Amino acid sequence: MDASEREQYRAAIHGDREAFEMIIRTHSRTLFAIAYGILQSREEAEDVVQDSLVKAWKTRWRVRDPEKFPAWLATIARHRAHDLFRKRRAASVSDEATEATDSESPDTTAIDQQLHSALAALPELHRAALTLRYFEEMDYRTIESMLGLTNGALRGILGRALASMRKQLRPALASMD
Amino acid sequence: MATIHEEIDNWLAADLYGELSGEEQRELHTHLVECVACRKTHQEVKTMNKILQETLAQQKPDPAFEQRMLGGFRNRVPERSGLVKLLSDLMRLRAAQITAVAAVLLGLVQLGRVFTRETAIAPRTRGDYANEQLFRQRSPSGASEPGRLGVLAKSDELAAGKPQDLALPAPPPSSGTRSELDKGFKAFPATVAPAQTAQAETAAKETGTGVAAMNYAAKPSSVETPAPELANRKLIRNATAELEIVSFDDAVQKITAFANEEHGYVATTDSQKQANGKLRGQIVVKVLPENLDRFLQKIRGLGELKNQTLGTEDVTKAYFDKDARLKNARVMEQRLIDMLKTKTGKVSDLLQVEKQLGRVREDIEKMQGELKYWDSQVQFATVTISLAEKDMEEPAAFLIKERAQLSLYAPDVEKIYNDIKALASQKVQITNAQLNRDYSGRVSATMSMLIAPEESDGVMGRTKGFGRVENFQTQTERIAQGGSGMSENAKTKRDKVELNITISREEQEQALQQTSLRIRTSSVDEKAKELRALAEKQGGRVRSSTFNRDPDGRELANVWLRVPMKNYVSLMQSLNSLGKVENVSVQRQDRTGTQIDEANAPADISIQVYTQGNIVSHESGPLATLRRTLAQSAGAIMWSLRMIGVAIAFLAPWVIAIAAIVWVAKRVMRAKR
Repeated sequence: MDASEREQYRAAIHGDREAFEMIIRTHSRTLFAIAYGILQSREEAEDVVQDSLVKAWKTRWRVRDPEKFPAWLATIARHRAHDLFRKRRAASVSDEATEATDSESPDTTAIDQQLHSALAALPELHRAALTLRYFEEMDYRTIESMLGLTNGALRGILGRALASMRKQLRPALASMD
Repeated sequence: MATIHEEIDNWLAADLYGELSGEEQRELHTHLVECVACRKTHQEVKTMNKILQETLAQQKPDPAFEQRMLGGFRNRVPERSGLVKLLSDLMRLRAAQITAVAAVLLGLVQLGRVFTRETAIAPRTRGDYANEQLFRQRSPSGASEPGRLGVLAKSDELAAGKPQDLALPAPPPSSGTRSELDKGFKAFPATVAPAQTAQAETAAKETGTGVAAMNYAAKPSSVETPAPELANRKLIRNATAELEIVSFDDAVQKITAFANEEHGYVATTDSQKQANGKLRGQIVVKVLPENLDRFLQKIRGLGELKNQTLGTEDVTKAYFDKDARLKNARVMEQRLIDMLKTKTGKVSDLLQVEKQLGRVREDIEKMQGELKYWDSQVQFATVTISLAEKDMEEPAAFLIKERAQLSLYAPDVEKIYNDIKALASQKVQITNAQLNRDYSGRVSATMSMLIAPEESDGVMGRTKGFGRVENFQTQTERIAQGGSGMSENAKTKRDKVELNITISREEQEQALQQTSLRIRTSSVDEKAKELRALAEKQGGRVRSSTFNRDPDGRELANVWLRVPMKNYVSLMQSLNSLGKVENVSVQRQDRTGTQIDEANAPADISIQVYTQGNIVSHESGPLATLRRTLAQSAGAIMWSLRMIGVAIAFLAPWVIAIAAIVWVAKRVMRAKR
């Protein structure tokens, strides 16, 4: 993290609106990636990012160390997405019958559907790591710091995520080769 | 460590995402060449990665995403405006934060001061510092002052007419900031070029305090080679010194000699002799200003210097103002005289001119006087020396004051009162005599007298003989006169002795010892009479006695006696003859700190003489016991009943209230259904 970034985070924490808006520009895609990873829905992910930004602005004084500001933002987004995800699952359990038919969108191809269901079977954290990788093309170190993981943990996580998806998609993959 | 084969997924993922080092990549590829299963997996992973990339690429946010987020944020968190924004912006600045904290701290400190009532220390003005500096620089008025010498050297250079050597930048014409003094200096039409004056001024300012330096710059005129432009200044120098010396006359002689040496003279001397023979006085000496410092140095050797001040007053401006006015007045005078000489015009006009001339001449004389006074002041410096001989505070004499306090007990107060009054003579003066008699007929007296020292012992001895001395105290005080502390030479004198006497009747005296006892005998009446006879024999007095007989046939007599202590023991022994002595208790009250004539001090004895009557208890036997038991149990039952009543009275309202609430609740529930 260079000095100007650090200064930007510090200013934002101290209530500099311009600095905070700059951070929105640079960081909202990352937050979106995390939220989408967890929720698998663009609309919901956007809402989560929006909510997280507002919440972050209102509670910005809680961050002591400007270095940790991006990770803190990511945490807010993750928690909000997780809350929403849980709520949705609770709702989907009660309305299972109607949900089953609705989810079948006509324009999704078979492989896409399989991929989505394979993604959905992954733990939230794994999904968030994957989307961060594919959306933002972040390196392992950055993803680890974003998701609050210890150094080197991501290697195993992504390995396991890919392995689990590979197993689920094996028939489809075989047909594609 | 796990092999690549076991962790193939991790390795493949890392390879896919470019997280393998060169070494690791080589290892992975070597393994893939060897292992068929892993090669297959690798193929699958690659295909899946492609699908993932394609699928997720569609899900990426569109380019307007950030703008949407920003818009949403702005909508939901409206920007603050006006004062709040200003304040929050301000608080973002470090400096503002520090200022705010400092302000709060300062406020707290002030608040604390208010609570502790400590007065805030007024900040010293710059003028104070300047004066202080002036004083400090000047006080050691010896010759070795580097700072001052520096200035002097500069002045000398100025005097030598080479101001360019000072290498000073041309001073800005800041006439506004110059002091009044400088203005006066400039106003004075000197022969020196104004540029040079300005140079001198800057040179002076360079040393720090303008005023201080100005004075130093002025000083050399008297001490060193006089600089022409400074010699015309009119400075009045004054000094005061306070010295403690051994002998006043010696000091005066020496000061006179010093004054002569320095071409001065002693203007006035005055001295006062103190009560202890020491002298104190003041000498005013006039010396030439240039010799002032040397003179002060000399008189310092005379004794201990207690205090010294040195002051310089610059009257240049006032002097030359007055001088100019004098010149004008002279011109006016001349013109008026001319007018009179020509004698043209009316008589009334001439009279007017005459009057005016008189006024002008009066003014001229006044101004001449003032100028002359200033001249004399400037010509000579005034030194006021206060002299005091050592041990000024030593006392001249001591006075011994004796005070005595005497308390007497006597049977007849009035008689003694009169006897003591009769002692009055030239040498024994009664200052106060008072005889008090209260409503119950008790008499007491207080007297005060002053006795000449030679008579005091005799009078006191005689007074003591009048009654029984209960208390006698004397107090001696040595008072120093005309000073304090000790002195070897002071005389000691005895003052009149003050004697205060209080006389009280014997009865009022508290007994030194109190005894109470009982005597059991068969015939109380008879024994009580015997007791009285015994007491009379031993010089005691019966103070009171009572006699009682109760229905049971018991007889009881109480007798209080007072005997002198010397007869107490024999009386107590004789009491044994009366009957069986019981319950003897003795209480002695020692009075500490007072002189007591113990043999004659009173002892009180209280005696109870009694017979044992026929005592039969009504309350005995089985019937009585039964009755008592029944009565007690009835009482206990009544007591518990009362307690139960109290408890019910306390609890009942609560029970009723709760029951009512429950009933209402039930009704409501039923109504709902």
